[in-house]
Amino acid sequence: MKFLCVPCDKPMTMMSVSPPDRGSLSVVYGCPDCGYEMAMLTNAHETQMVSSLGVKVGSPKAVEAGASKCPFSAMIAPKAEETANGVRWTAEASARMDSVPEFVRPMARSGIEKFAEESGYREIDLKVLDEARARFGM
Amino acid sequence: MKSYHDIAGDGGSRIAEQVEAGREKIARALSGVRHRVAIGSGKGGVGKSTLTRALASALTARGLTVAILDADLNGPTQARMSGLAGAVPVPGPEGLALPRSSDGVRVFSIGEMVPESQALEFASVAAGDAHTWRATKEFAVLGELLGSIAWGRLDVLLFDLPPGAERTAQFVDFLGAETTLVLVTIPSDVSRGVVARSAAAVSKSPCRVAGYVQNMSGYLCPDCGEVKPLFPESDGVPLDLPLLGRVPFDPALASACDRGEPFASRPIAEVADRLVAFLETPR
Repeated sequence: MKFLCVPCDKPMTMMSVSPPDRGSLSVVYGCPDCGYEMAMLTNAHETQMVSSLGVKVGSPKAVEAGASKCPFSAMIAPKAEETANGVRWTAEASARMDSVPEFVRPMARSGIEKFAEESGYREIDLKVLDEARARFGM
Repeated sequence: MKSYHDIAGDGGSRIAEQVEAGREKIARALSGVRHRVAIGSGKGGVGKSTLTRALASALTARGLTVAILDADLNGPTQARMSGLAGAVPVPGPEGLALPRSSDGVRVFSIGEMVPESQALEFASVAAGDAHTWRATKEFAVLGELLGSIAWGRLDVLLFDLPPGAERTAQFVDFLGAETTLVLVTIPSDVSRGVVARSAAAVSKSPCRVAGYVQNMSGYLCPDCGEVKPLFPESDGVPLDLPLLGRVPFDPALASACDRGEPFASRPIAEVADRLVAFLETPR
């Protein structure tokens, strides 16, 4: 989607993206010539359609700031670095989980934590991840 | 006044750029995969998933490296049939590593992580209107999976498709022109009719259709070893596709799938032989 400043006949540039509020996304555009600003406010259906493409609206900076929600969050409680059972994730192991698709991540984390608990580990590091891979035949 | 195409870029949303980046990531991840084979039908309950699993075993037995992506996110069965329920994928240095069944087939299935007592749910800001966005979301999820899994060198990547003639065409479109489609039917006219419709739906796709498998083509009696009719034979609905083989209903196969154990049979091995021959034929 593009916006055009009709009086100037100039494409408007994206200024900012606000995180979704009750399903609505606020995207501000401005005209580089006259400085006129306008906001596009989406309804929940429009927000969800774009979200369903697996993309994040805006500049790379805006994208990094506005992390999307896991679609499985309704099924699995969010995990802190230390789980309810006291199993901790090292920074390196946690960082490796970032390569897991967002929707799979909570489920994969739960499975790995279960493996760690059953194996008697209190901390999940890269070595434990490697052991889990071996256990599951990878 | 300028029109849309007079303005370079995409207005700052970066959506087109991200979609393209996603496609490139998928292409990189699948670069070591020799053959992509989608097993579909259009008709539900004809044994697509069972046949996918059995074909994977038969191909592996030929020394081929095989993986399965269970693309039926809402009715995943490959985890159970591969004995991998609870075996979660784990990230490695090269990407997401997949659990391996006892016969060496790597499998991704939502069923590895979501218990059978739970349905697949996506959180949404447009709750109650899932019919407007759910299919888009599912394809985005599959795309992210394809690009994130460390497929490595594979001879065959099998896709177990969900039912639906139009869905079959959508999946083939999504998986790209390099994909080979195998359709599965049972002998009934009802099933053959749906499969004929699926074949028509994919006819404009650049993918290749290897042919169809007639599943449940009789009943293999465990007592006398004879194949007896299960459905009335009928040629009322012609399928203008090569027949890759007839696979009789076999209680031993059904039982092996329930237990998550590999299964081999001569009819499935013959289907595998014909499929391999087709895959090795230049496009």
